[in-house]
This record gives sequence, structure tokens and C-alpha cells, in this order.
Amino acid sequence: MIKINHLTFEYKPNSENLSNIDLKIKEGECVLLCGKSGCGKTTVTRLINGLIPHFTEGEIKVGEVYIGEDRVDNLEVYQLAENVGSVFQNPKSQFFNLESEAELAFGLENRGVKMECIRERIDETTKALNIEKLRSRDIFSMSAGEKQSLAFACVYAMNPSIYVLDEPTANLDYKSIQLLKKQMESIKAEGKTILIAEHRIYFLVDLIDRAVYMEDGVIKKIYSRDEFLALNNEERVLMGLRTIENKSTIELDELKMQRLNEKSTKLRSYLNKETIAELDVRNLSFSYNQSNVLSNLSFKVASGEVLGIMGRNGQGKTTLLRCLAGLIKEASGEILFNGKRVNTKERNRLSYLIMQDVNHQLFCNSVWNECSLHDRNIDDETIEAVLSDFDLLRFKDSHPMALSGGQKQRLAIAAGVLCGKKVLLFDEPTSGLDYQHMMAVSYTIKELAKAGHIIIIVTHDMEFLECTCTSRLEI
Amino acid sequence: MGIRANIMLGRANFLENTRGEKAPADPRTMIILLFMVNIIAFSDKSIFIELITIALLFSLLVYSRCTRIGFILIGMFASIIFLQYYVFPNSLPVFATIFSMLSVYIRKIIPSLMVGSIIIKRIPMSYLILVFRKWRVPERIITILSVTIRYFPAIREESTHIKDAMKLRGIKGFAKIEAYTVPLMLSAINTAEELSAAAVTRGIENPIKKTSSFDIQFSIKDYVFIAAGILLVISTILV
Repeated sequence: MIKINHLTFEYKPNSENLSNIDLKIKEGECVLLCGKSGCGKTTVTRLINGLIPHFTEGEIKVGEVYIGEDRVDNLEVYQLAENVGSVFQNPKSQFFNLESEAELAFGLENRGVKMECIRERIDETTKALNIEKLRSRDIFSMSAGEKQSLAFACVYAMNPSIYVLDEPTANLDYKSIQLLKKQMESIKAEGKTILIAEHRIYFLVDLIDRAVYMEDGVIKKIYSRDEFLALNNEERVLMGLRTIENKSTIELDELKMQRLNEKSTKLRSYLNKETIAELDVRNLSFSYNQSNVLSNLSFKVASGEVLGIMGRNGQGKTTLLRCLAGLIKEASGEILFNGKRVNTKERNRLSYLIMQDVNHQLFCNSVWNECSLHDRNIDDETIEAVLSDFDLLRFKDSHPMALSGGQKQRLAIAAGVLCGKKVLLFDEPTSGLDYQHMMAVSYTIKELAKAGHIIIIVTHDMEFLECTCTSRLEI
Repeated sequence: MGIRANIMLGRANFLENTRGEKAPADPRTMIILLFMVNIIAFSDKSIFIELITIALLFSLLVYSRCTRIGFILIGMFASIIFLQYYVFPNSLPVFATIFSMLSVYIRKIIPSLMVGSIIIKRIPMSYLILVFRKWRVPERIITILSVTIRYFPAIREESTHIKDAMKLRGIKGFAKIEAYTVPLMLSAINTAEELSAAAVTRGIENPIKKTSSFDIQFSIKDYVFIAAGILLVISTILV
């Protein structure tokens, strides 16, 4: 069905992002692409849906890709779209329409299918995937899980024989992942071929026939399902893969983490030492769009603690963080800091939010300026100390946007620490991260807690939650 | 969630209206009306006909359940009439010359704003796209238009995030404008890239004639609206 023939590809000359990729996928097979971030998983998916060479810049040096009998580079992407359907990582940027109904029809309209047939197919699709509740909705009011479900449905409506999924679960909660798994089961039962690149693999163990492990643009090994499941934890961790069971394997992770972080220095505390602070939230409620999202929420977090908050997509977790950060007002209830009630303005001064997309909170043209943005008079030694703690000092003249994802996130945290914020709030800090990066974030957060910060994390990532948080709250 | 709340407030109408049941008339009628009110407003012959047009459009707004906007626009219109007929003639000539031009312009665009706000608030994007296809507007232009419109709520979402981030870092005053542009541009570029990748893999470049998943038809209402429009246009020309 799919054949990649000794292929070498580079985005920029002499970078060799993929080398000598040789892979055959049979019809009806479900194949997992796994490996650390930047190993070339996404690039391989792009070879198959035709974004390479038709859309993405770069050059195939040697080799070719076949879908059935046809060579991908001889077909236009819209011809490939007849056979290959793609679901991407970011649920926000896969839509052209504002309404779900129009979005479901989009692929078929492009193909010139008759009106009656489009309607029929949309009915079939929503029934088969059990997503009637997503019909006739405003897409911008959907949760990430719903959006991703819809994206999958839009591809299903076009009825391709090959599905290419590029990290579809990066922004999804547990239940949405289960739903995606069900949807994948039904297409597999229909005999469709599936290629999925993923970090989270626990939900795929029942589905996959083979797993392709990649490292630095090379296929290191192709495992059969049984071989892949037989990997023990140590092997898995060394491969940088996330857990296969949906729980973490803490003891080993601790060990591994120490090895991972041998080089990192301990974080120093930049807070006033004497304050052992406590954030006390009592009967907090807030509403949006006339209906209550969250009501009567109570919890306490003291400095040094890490509270993990879980809940479904669209349940008000981000709103809770915004409320704690003083960006919106509570409807009722109170938030106390060291026994004293704090209003939005005071909360704003106390707390800092590290957003899911840290690109939103980096504003300057260099790492150094980013650190002095809030206060021009801050002394150089402090900045230097913080930057070296976060392993960013050697990038002090770089543009923040030239940093890697993990570095950007550390810079965002560093900026918050420099502002002297006591309460640090994290919104999904590990979405789309591989094992190693997830562990690095976990380590940083624990160090921040040791330095006396109060830490609250909203996350769907069970593995991360288990090895990071001292207490948890389900909303 | 809060971010979504903001967006939803502005778009709550859309939600209940994604299938166009609440649209006051066929989208084609609304577009034709838009042209007609422009002719009436710019021919500028009789204030009497202008007043009738405004009154009719106001009732159309109320009928379309855009009462609030209706009142705002009619209030604007009334205050401009008041300025032009009572304030300017009795004020300093300098003052009058400066502001009379502006007031004339605003007065001219109010009828279009009235029709336009009904189109924006009450007619789903997919209906407009269908109309453009029926009128054989080039598919390229339709794509540009639909993606542009899709961008507005996305940018609103992004800018809420950025505003939050600035507030948390205590960025104030002039620095805000500078700080605003970098993340916004960056996210616009990323979104554009990802959006077009998704579009391409769903066959947007297919040269075949595109179809639609539903159809629209004129009803008596539409004929009434258009007839009223024609009557008004003819009378402005004849007066």
C-alpha cells in the first residue's frame, strides 16, 4: 500500500533530516512511528500525505514514495487526498469554516461531490463515529478534544484508504484520547491503513501491528507488536518513549532522572526566605456564558508543594488558572494568601502563568532583554544567576524565537521567577513532549517547589502528574 | 475557557444560527439590499426617502433580532441629523467645516452598516460562500475571503492570551504595543502555515468545480424585500 524506497530528505541543504528511510506498509496495517522529539516522525508522515515534496520546502535527495502504484511526486496533493487523509497535531489550526457542518462537507465539496451525496456521507460519518453532538456547532466554542474529534470526522467523511495521524493527542485529555482510540478501532475494522506518529503510546497498544522506532532521521528498528510490548521499562526509557501502560513507573523514573540531570545545577531561591506561604482557595466559583463552569472549589497549596489539577477538555481548568492569576474575577468564594484575602490586583502581583503556548509570552528581541523587560533597573548579576540556573546563559543574546520549545518554556519560567512571583501556575506544560523533555520539565518544577514557590499545574498527562505533583485535584 | 467565553459572547448568535434558520432572508437578498441602500444613500436627493430607508432598515434589524445594533445605529443617525441641521449652522464656521465632512460620511455609511451588521450577525459564512459560488466568483477569491473571516476569532483568541501574558509581566504603556506585535505576528505565521497544510491535504487545490452540501431558495419574503428596495431606488432617481 505504502512504500518508501531508501529515501533521503533534507529541509535545508546538507542537513539530512531523513536518511535511507525504507518502509513498506501493507493494506489494513496500523503502524506507529515513535522516537524522541525531532527524530523525523512528522517528516515521514509528510512524505505520505504529499506535503513533501509539494508543500514543505526541502529536497528529496534519493529515493521515492509510492502509494499503491503511484509515485507521490507525480501526483498533486489533491489527487493524493482521494486516498490519504491527514489529522494534525494542533486542533486549533485545522479548520477553515466557522461551523462544524460546513467543515465536515469541506473535503467533499472540494472534490465536487453532489449535494445529496455529501449530506448522506455526513450523516454516515457522524453516526459511525458517534459525534452527533458536534453537528451544527460553532467550532470556536469547541474544546480541544471536540475539535480533534471533528478533524478526524472531516477526514473520515472523505473516506480515504490511508489515515496519517501526526501526534493527534498532544492536546487531548484522557477521555478524548479514549474516543480517538475508538474511532481508530472502527477505521481499522473497516480495513483502512493507519500510520500514526505519537509520543503517547499507551492508548495504541491494542491497535498497532508494528512500531517503527526512529532516531535522528534514521529508522533504528522496526518492532512487531509483540516485540514492542515486550520492551521492558529500562529499554523504553532509554529509547525516550513514554509509558506503555497508562501509569508511570516511578522508581525507575527517579533513577533515570538523576542520570538525566547530572549536569543541571540546583535552582537557587530568589524569594524572601522567611515566608512559608500558603494559598487557600475557599468555595471558589466562576461563571462564563451565563452558566457556572466551576462551583465551590476549595483547596490549599503551601510553598514547596505542587498541586496537579486534572479534568476534561473544556471543563474550566484554564479559567481556574486565569482566576488564580488575577486575570479574571471570581463569581463567588475567596482566595486567601497567608490568611489574607487577595483581590485580582494582588493576585496578579503574586502569581505568574506559564501558558501552554509559551510563544504568547515572549516579547523581546533577545533572551537578556526578556529578563529585564518588567524592570529596567534589575541588576545584571541577578539575571545572570537566573539564566545560568535555567541553563540559558549561553543563549543570552539569542532571539527567544530561535530557541527550542523546551528552552522557550524555561525562559518563560525564568522571566516569572525574575518578576519575584511566588505562585507559579502551569497550563499543560508537557503537551506533545517526549519522555526526556517531560522529565526535564518535571525536574525544573520540583526544583522550583524546593525553592519555595507555590506551584499549581493543570495537566492531562498522567505520567507527568504522577512523577511531579505532591497532591492532586480532579475537577 | 475564559478566552473562549469572550469569543463566544461575540459569537453567541452564530451558535444558534449555524444552519441559517434565523437568517431574516436569503443571503442574496441581503447582498442586493446592501447595493441598493448604497445607491440610495449616495444619490443624496431627498431626506424624506433617506428617512424612510432608515426606518425600514431599522425594522429589518429588529426583525432580524439585532435590536441593540439597530438602536445604536439609529441613534448615531439621529445625532448626525441634529448636528447638521441645528448645531453646525449656529456654530463657528471653522468648527462646522471640520466636522461637517466627517458627519456627511458617517451619515452615508449608516444604511450600509445596518444591512452589513445583519449579514455579519445573522448569515452563516457557509451561506455566503454558497452565494459566491452561485455567482461564479473565482474560487481563489472565495478561499481568501473565507480564511480571512475565519482568522478574526482566531486572532481574538490569540490576543486574549497575549494580553494576559503582558498583564502578568507588568508590561504597561507604550511598551505594550511593541510587545503585542511579536507574538501576534508569530502566531499568525504559524497558524497560516498549519492551516494551509490542512487545507491542501483536504484537496482545496482540486481544480474541479466545487459543490455545496446544501442549497438556498428565494421565498416570498425575499421578493417583498427586493421589491421594497427597488421602489425606494426608483423614487430616489425620479425625485
